[in-house]
Amino acid sequence: MEIKEKDNTHISILVVGAGPAGLAAAIAARSANKDADIAVLEKGEAVGNHNLSGAVLETASLKRLLDEARPDWRTIKGADSILGREVKDDEVQLLLGKELAVNISFLMKICKKLGLSFGEICNDGNSIVSISKLTRLLGEIALSLGIEIYTGFGVKEILYDQDNRKAHGVKLVDQGLDKEGNPQPNYIEGETITADIIILAEGTDGLVTEDFVVKAGLNRKNDQVFSVGVKEIIRVSQQKYESFGDNRVIHTMGFPLWLPIFGPAIFGGGFAYSCGENEIAVGIIAGADWKYYNFNPQKALEDFKQHTVIREYVDGGEIIEAGVKMIPEGGYYAVPRYLPSGSDEKTMKTVGYKNVMIIGDSAGFVNMKKIKGLHNAIESGALAGNAAIKCLETPEKAADEYTRKLESNSVMDEMKSARNFRAIVARFGQAIGVPLSIAGNLLPRFTMEKDYKTMTSRKFTFYTPGEFDKPTFVALAVTEHREEQPSHLSILDPSLCINQCDSLFNRACITFCPAGVYEKIGIDTRPANPSNCVHCKTCQRKCPFDNIRWTVPEGNGGPKYKLM
Amino acid sequence: MSNYIVTVKQVPDITQITGNAFNPETGTLKRGTLPSVINKLDADALAFANKMKHLSPGKIVCLTMGPPKSSEVLTYSLSRCADHAVLLTDRVLGGADTPATANPLAYAIRKIAKDIFNGNDDYVVISGMQSVDGDTAQVPAQIAEELQIPCIAYATEVESINGKFRIEKIVSGGNQWVSPKALPYVVTVANYEYPLFASFRRSRWANKFAVINWTADDIKPTLFGYDGSKTRVTRVFPPPKGARKNKHCHNIDEFVKELVSTYKKGRSSGAFEGEETDYIVPSDRPGGLFQRNYEGTDKEINAYKQVTQALSKLGITKVDQLNESLVERVQEHLQEKLTKKMLQEMIEGYKTTQTSYSGDVWVIAEHDGKKTNDVTCELLGKATHLAKPLGVRVGVVIAGYQCKHMANDLIAAGADDVHIIEDVLLEDFRPGPYRNAVVDAIKKHNPQIVLFGATPQGRVLAPMIAYRLGCGLTADCTSLDIRDNSRQGNIAILMQTRPALGGNIMATIITKDSKIQMATARLGVMKKNRPDHSRKGNIIEHSVTLAESDVGFDIIKTELSGGSANLSNADVVVSGGRGLRNKDNYDKLVSDLAAVIRKKLDCQVELGASRAAVEQGFINRTHQVGQTGTAVSPRLYIALGISGAIQHLIGIENSEIIVAINSDPLAPIFKHSDYYMVGNAEEIVPQITEALRH
Repeated sequence: MEIKEKDNTHISILVVGAGPAGLAAAIAARSANKDADIAVLEKGEAVGNHNLSGAVLETASLKRLLDEARPDWRTIKGADSILGREVKDDEVQLLLGKELAVNISFLMKICKKLGLSFGEICNDGNSIVSISKLTRLLGEIALSLGIEIYTGFGVKEILYDQDNRKAHGVKLVDQGLDKEGNPQPNYIEGETITADIIILAEGTDGLVTEDFVVKAGLNRKNDQVFSVGVKEIIRVSQQKYESFGDNRVIHTMGFPLWLPIFGPAIFGGGFAYSCGENEIAVGIIAGADWKYYNFNPQKALEDFKQHTVIREYVDGGEIIEAGVKMIPEGGYYAVPRYLPSGSDEKTMKTVGYKNVMIIGDSAGFVNMKKIKGLHNAIESGALAGNAAIKCLETPEKAADEYTRKLESNSVMDEMKSARNFRAIVARFGQAIGVPLSIAGNLLPRFTMEKDYKTMTSRKFTFYTPGEFDKPTFVALAVTEHREEQPSHLSILDPSLCINQCDSLFNRACITFCPAGVYEKIGIDTRPANPSNCVHCKTCQRKCPFDNIRWTVPEGNGGPKYKLM
Repeated sequence: MSNYIVTVKQVPDITQITGNAFNPETGTLKRGTLPSVINKLDADALAFANKMKHLSPGKIVCLTMGPPKSSEVLTYSLSRCADHAVLLTDRVLGGADTPATANPLAYAIRKIAKDIFNGNDDYVVISGMQSVDGDTAQVPAQIAEELQIPCIAYATEVESINGKFRIEKIVSGGNQWVSPKALPYVVTVANYEYPLFASFRRSRWANKFAVINWTADDIKPTLFGYDGSKTRVTRVFPPPKGARKNKHCHNIDEFVKELVSTYKKGRSSGAFEGEETDYIVPSDRPGGLFQRNYEGTDKEINAYKQVTQALSKLGITKVDQLNESLVERVQEHLQEKLTKKMLQEMIEGYKTTQTSYSGDVWVIAEHDGKKTNDVTCELLGKATHLAKPLGVRVGVVIAGYQCKHMANDLIAAGADDVHIIEDVLLEDFRPGPYRNAVVDAIKKHNPQIVLFGATPQGRVLAPMIAYRLGCGLTADCTSLDIRDNSRQGNIAILMQTRPALGGNIMATIITKDSKIQMATARLGVMKKNRPDHSRKGNIIEHSVTLAESDVGFDIIKTELSGGSANLSNADVVVSGGRGLRNKDNYDKLVSDLAAVIRKKLDCQVELGASRAAVEQGFINRTHQVGQTGTAVSPRLYIALGISGAIQHLIGIENSEIIVAINSDPLAPIFKHSDYYMVGNAEEIVPQITEALRH
């Protein structure tokens, strides 16, 4: 059978990234039009491998999507256990020091009743999910609907025609290069795939998205800022799990990231959720605008696990999986949009441009008051999928249609209402910022600095001694890449590391990179172990000299999350 | 112009086995936790086929047998190089062992040649040497046997000279270039660099490709499913726990201290087979015929113990007193109740008192023309141990050209009868003539057990012989014991235990529906007898008629690597792998460390290397440690920059202490080591050498 070139390299609707947003987009599109030609590209070896989240999910969007696309989805094997863990015990603890904790759940509930912003953290009616498992389920559903999913293909760049101001496809990452970048006998040049409509769903800090933002001239009112989330799944004894409970979520503020007055001050908090099968998920989310040159979020998680409230349950447990990812926290003002020249407040500014739509974490639809983005990722995906089908004949109108849907939908309402929360905290600190945020929407827009600019030579004091065991962590993320390929990480100007970073920040990347990618070799700082990379991209956002660049490695590499 | 058929298999991805993959209570693998992938060596086979196709154009057809889900590996193959795909799927084909897998595959290959190649028999069958879940390496050789075509095993490279293929393959201690005489033939690929990547274009095409589905009815195999199988798994259990300490050392001093002190503690058991036997046939048992303490599992032994006591209380002492009505009466005397069915079977089981098999215990010798290989003596040690309680003789078959002079050593090593088959066509090992010679001798003498070494030679010869004789074969055994399985009416049968799934589980297997029980045994596991040159034995010469047409392929040249690494007898082996990056590093780091250890511990130290390091030319093939090189059992094995491919791990697992240094924290070797350090060997090794100097 002949392989016809054209049939196989052109697609009507191309989705970049098989995460919850991208799959939601594909599923919505396919259920709106059973004949639509839809393909999803994923750099991971399998769907779900690169997906990590807390996660407590507002399930409404997801259920609406699936009820529409596969009315029988509840009968799919595993669907029950993936979505069935409803939150029953929901508490917020303020940790004041390593031993002390104040349960402030009641305060949050009062806030919620009063309609105050940080009451939105409450989780009644939500479900505890593993996003990795949920994504696999969505992948299975997508395949059953006839959507094509291709794993193991990294996308290198978007192909954008500057003359016609239009994207016409993507170029894939080359495969089979050796370390020096020379073709091996099995070399395949990255192929060009053309598409009528492109949906960018790469997740946090998407490379193709940022490539498109530059090429198409999109703008953000505020720069995007990030948090770094570290998560571990810990298997504990049955007795301890029973005492923790099967439907419980704990969110914490304070220790170890923030303590009043003279303590450290990093935005963020910790969490512990029930996962079933005697497993508890624990994690720390730390604002990437930390000031401490020696800070490492994994060490913070280690400290967190030593706090009485958490230690009680996880002490003596076995870590069975671990991972890291970044969360885009810039909110409403950091969503990349196209501003037509001569536009005023009334002009619609599209999230994407013409036939390209940006969804989920790539757009930055995380609501910082709820500390949730998953429901918006799914919702924005569904909207983009519907917009794509509506605009199949007029692809250049897709971003307009999508943005119109977003603006009249809960996604943008939420994003608007939370628009100042993170910036106020960044500006005023948590003690004043959090209460002040009640009035957030009455205040003007605050700008935030890019995360890399905030580094100082101040030192963070960790409670647990010693260095974090990164090799074990990497093994628990089951991350690997083909060794004989060019490094996907590069340091732009080595002299900055040697002459400035060394003395000022003790080469911070070596400390904060969760996978131990960076090492000092001779006098240089080098990405010595790129194959350990867990694809969190913290390095390119937190290098204090903005001196690191992350590119997409050969497909199939990266972590293999199963339970995250 | 020739066509290509690549057999591919879907296997669980054992590289992703983490703590979560095992059931914490039972220690067994949880079903469905591991993703399914194509067997790594089958991916290599596809790349190998693609290279052949470029040398001599033709179609590539990929073929797999399994449940419908296994069509995923066909999509994998199509998205890389295959032009056509056939899925053999049928419930009746399930539960098959190797001959019952090879047979339907061979019938499917015949049908592919007929339907897809339009009756053209100019094809090559290319298979991965073995699958990671079974590790048997039996199926490809048995496919060749069913098709009556030659098998070229352990291929690593192919080229074309004057329009004819030349294939490089691994042989014990070196490489060999061979040239197949005629099409068709089977090639098994032991390793091929540069597995193919999927292209998007091909992937999309593959996604829509209509794979051909065949059922058993379409191909009409003669041996299939559980009923066609010649072996049966009787027990699966986790490997002995705590075998390796898995201690992660963080500093050099600690590492060196652990290494030296554990070494000095010494070996726990001797290197030679002891005198005592651990089986007695029922008629000789001191407790009489009703004593059943040689069952396969402790659980069965205990159950029998209770029932035997109960029978004694009931005054039942003779076989002819046994009948159905005893079941309820026995039940009353039991502390733990047994099911009625089980009791019936057990009582029925007392009636069998004769051994299930008869004949001698045989070993197929392996030699280099001058002397026999170590594995032959190891097998003779085991054979003596098995034959003694059965009251049978130990026979050994040695085939070759001018090999008589080795007979006395074989007798000294434990053989009672040495069967010698000499022919000029047997001078070099080629599976065709060797198979004919050995099959001939077996047919004449009807042994009950035949043992082979799990070497490049034994692993291709044994499956062909077993298939031809219609007998079961278990590959790579690490333990062989005579036991009863009274409930099934089996007395004094060979229980063959082997690791599976990359050593993550152990399985005990017995032969069924066969006249002979055959097994290949891992190198270095079985213990030799202490050589006794005063032993007497018979030497029996066989004449055999061999034809040039049995040869299959011409040997162009054999490159046995020079030097004489005495790896199998070393106290310490220091090995380097690809992680050392170049020959200079290998030479310096490995030799320096070996020299210091030799001095410090006053022992015999040898240099070893992984297959990858040998391929890179760091050192010659005689130093290769692993399943395809030399299996070692030193007191201390040091792996530098070796990631731990499964073939390597198999070859070192009998080492008393294993220590490893590797920069990849995920390196599988760490799970199989006692002490390890994560880091760059180039930095760490000189520090260790220095620390040991003092």
